[in-house]
Amino acid sequence: MCHRSVGLVQGAVEAAGISTVSVALRPEITLGTNVPRAAYLRFPLGNPFGEPDQPAQHHRILEDLLVLLETATEPTVIELPYRWRRWGKWL
Amino acid sequence: MESTVLDPEDFRAQYEKWVQFVADNHHGHNNRVNEGPAFTQLKKPLAEARVALATSAGVHLSDQEPFHTATVAGDATFRVIPNDVDFSTVRFAHTHYDTSSAEQDLNVVLPITRLAELVERGRVGAASPIHIGMMGFNPDPSAIADTTGPAVAAALTDAGVDVAIFAPG
Repeated sequence: MCHRSVGLVQGAVEAAGISTVSVALRPEITLGTNVPRAAYLRFPLGNPFGEPDQPAQHHRILEDLLVLLETATEPTVIELPYRWRRWGKWL
Repeated sequence: MESTVLDPEDFRAQYEKWVQFVADNHHGHNNRVNEGPAFTQLKKPLAEARVALATSAGVHLSDQEPFHTATVAGDATFRVIPNDVDFSTVRFAHTHYDTSSAEQDLNVVLPITRLAELVERGRVGAASPIHIGMMGFNPDPSAIADTTGPAVAAALTDAGVDVAIFAPG
């Protein structure tokens, strides 16, 4: 439900004239909620920008979001190619 | 590897299954989606833009009322998180995700330090003086859509924000 809450607020902020982008960890909910821009990451809930104390990883994801802001000309959801290396601890 | 553009139709059945799951498991459920959606092109280069962050990970400050997580009703309110927040005062009120990563490093859900570094590098113009903390568990999103969304939009507009980056819990 976090994704729907985020998506609805994102939509309202975009409608107010602010350009927005979001991270999606559950792409079907983000896509279904109909947002202007989002990037799907195959990361676990609670880690939308990656692992703790990994600034390079956080910056990689933020840069992808910024490029999406710069390049999208219509509502666009992309999937980023990164994979989570430590799924084990979440199982 | 490259990024790929997703087709909403490929996820339609999965989305409808989720909507049904929420309806079957949460009293007072409802569903809302964005009409359109609205689309606002960047009005200025990012190097000149003021950027805000928003999270639904239950982020609030120790002197702010925690989000209500114990009830099935959810909590559609939001908290203003100052850009110059002392990280030791940040709390996480959410029962539907593992908060351990966020507790170790706030940047995992609200990358305030990273945003400051982007400003320092000149990649974005400025950090918004305020960011937004929400708690995403809302079986009925009517208040989120009708009240919280417009209120967050007004707060960010008042803060002179050009760009907002959102992340789920």
